[in-house]
Amino acid sequence: MINDIYLPEKGGIHPVMVKEQHLNNFKETIERALIEANISLEDVSLIAFSQSPGLGPVLKIGALVARLLSQSLEIPIVAVNHCIAHIEIGRLLCNIQDPLTLYVSGGNTIVSAFESGAYQIFGETLDLAIGNMLDSFAREAEISHPGGPKIEKLAQKASHYISLPYVVKGMDLSFSGLFTAAKRVLKSKKFDEKYTLNDLAYSLQETSFAMLTEVTERALAHTEKKEVLLTGGVAANKRLQEMISYISEEHAARFEVVPAKYAGDNGAMIAWTGILRYKSKGSNNIKETIIKPKERMDKILIPWRN
Amino acid sequence: MNSSIIKKELIKKGAEAYLYYGKWFDKEVIFKHRIPKKYRLKELDERIRVFRTINEAKALIKVKEYGINVPKVYEIDSKNAFIIMDFIPGKKLKDLVPILDDSKLIKYFQNIGQFIARLHINGEIHGDITTSNVIITEQEEIFLIDFGLHEFSERIEDKSVDLHLFKRVLMSSHGDTYKSCFNAFLQGYKVIYEKKSKKECDAIIKNIEVIESRGRYIKKSERL
Repeated sequence: MINDIYLPEKGGIHPVMVKEQHLNNFKETIERALIEANISLEDVSLIAFSQSPGLGPVLKIGALVARLLSQSLEIPIVAVNHCIAHIEIGRLLCNIQDPLTLYVSGGNTIVSAFESGAYQIFGETLDLAIGNMLDSFAREAEISHPGGPKIEKLAQKASHYISLPYVVKGMDLSFSGLFTAAKRVLKSKKFDEKYTLNDLAYSLQETSFAMLTEVTERALAHTEKKEVLLTGGVAANKRLQEMISYISEEHAARFEVVPAKYAGDNGAMIAWTGILRYKSKGSNNIKETIIKPKERMDKILIPWRN
Repeated sequence: MNSSIIKKELIKKGAEAYLYYGKWFDKEVIFKHRIPKKYRLKELDERIRVFRTINEAKALIKVKEYGINVPKVYEIDSKNAFIIMDFIPGKKLKDLVPILDDSKLIKYFQNIGQFIARLHINGEIHGDITTSNVIITEQEEIFLIDFGLHEFSERIEDKSVDLHLFKRVLMSSHGDTYKSCFNAFLQGYKVIYEKKSKKECDAIIKNIEVIESRGRYIKKSERL
């Protein structure tokens, strides 16, 4: 699996910059992937691409390249939802049948399970995604990229918990108030006298992860699923794994974390979900390959699970 | 505890609280105990459980004023996160949705919409409207329960979120019937809320879609 990930020089992700990066790198990425797989372009028999959700300009590049390959190689094309792909690659690699999934990344925070033909969303963030919140905090604290893993390391050296806002609404979450409060503590006069960055990183993690765990447990009690899957970039965090593992055990559910390489965004998950869709419902026609930046995963029927 | 207060049996293990059936003097009551959560830091866990216990008890007392059926509160023990409240004999709406006929369901959902509108007009946000948190008695009275996540707010956004949560519960748990149920709910909601302000009511309902389109890539202008 070959990744070429956009890293901003400073600040957050800028859609136009990511688009440029995709445009400049797709050719080399495809070539490197072919070399690693030890196949030629002619051996490719199906093209899958990420159609939704995401940043419009970025999705567009992927869709363009996919259509180009599909037409020039005369092979079928399949459109895939990014969030569903995360769950499907997790089911495959963890050998799990019907999990409740907590999907936590820079762009998404979703608690989902399969019910009535679709991956229903039981809980989600109402504002910031957890990964985005942690990264934004890291930037405020001048912690270099990647912020999440560094916050995890700092937290291990903490000695005090600083009380921060804990906001759960039904099975939904809100992180913006927590972020603002953590930023306020960080920027407060005498911050260095009263607290350490370790304490603040620890408190931010403990508060936000407890929120994630609470809504996951509520969804678990509600759906009565017997498996729990943790995925997305933030899934690599050991403390979060520990918390989700704890509630899974309490509800007698099997707990699995998707291996880090496949928990973050990757092409393999898109390809695998493309195969599932192709085998059950065939390919998409070109008209159906229009990108859908705002499409919700719960609006998509899953033919391979019915 | 006083000998006139008897905790008899555990009747439900929820994700957040255990419910025990018992007697409080001559009354049939529920003991609601918010149980410690070991995955959370002790300090954080206590803060949340104490806050929600007091919050729920206050809300149950307050919203009665608006003519909404909720269990009566008899006693609270905030330190140990206990509330003793009326036992409401009846069925959860969640279990009734699959078996009731359409006309009856529509009527219930309209009524619930009216209840929630009455709460919202008074700035009371339920915070966790689900079909498990509505009890229908044999006399067909509707009771709202579980006010632990209740908050006071006059913001359109908070009222919309309250409705959005309910819509999503219906969608994810009651598949086919969700549309007609949610439409009936909104109908009831409008009847009451529009008496206060049609403009505000429209804004609340319209904002549900805005909320649904969030939760992932937030537009740059909306970012912090």
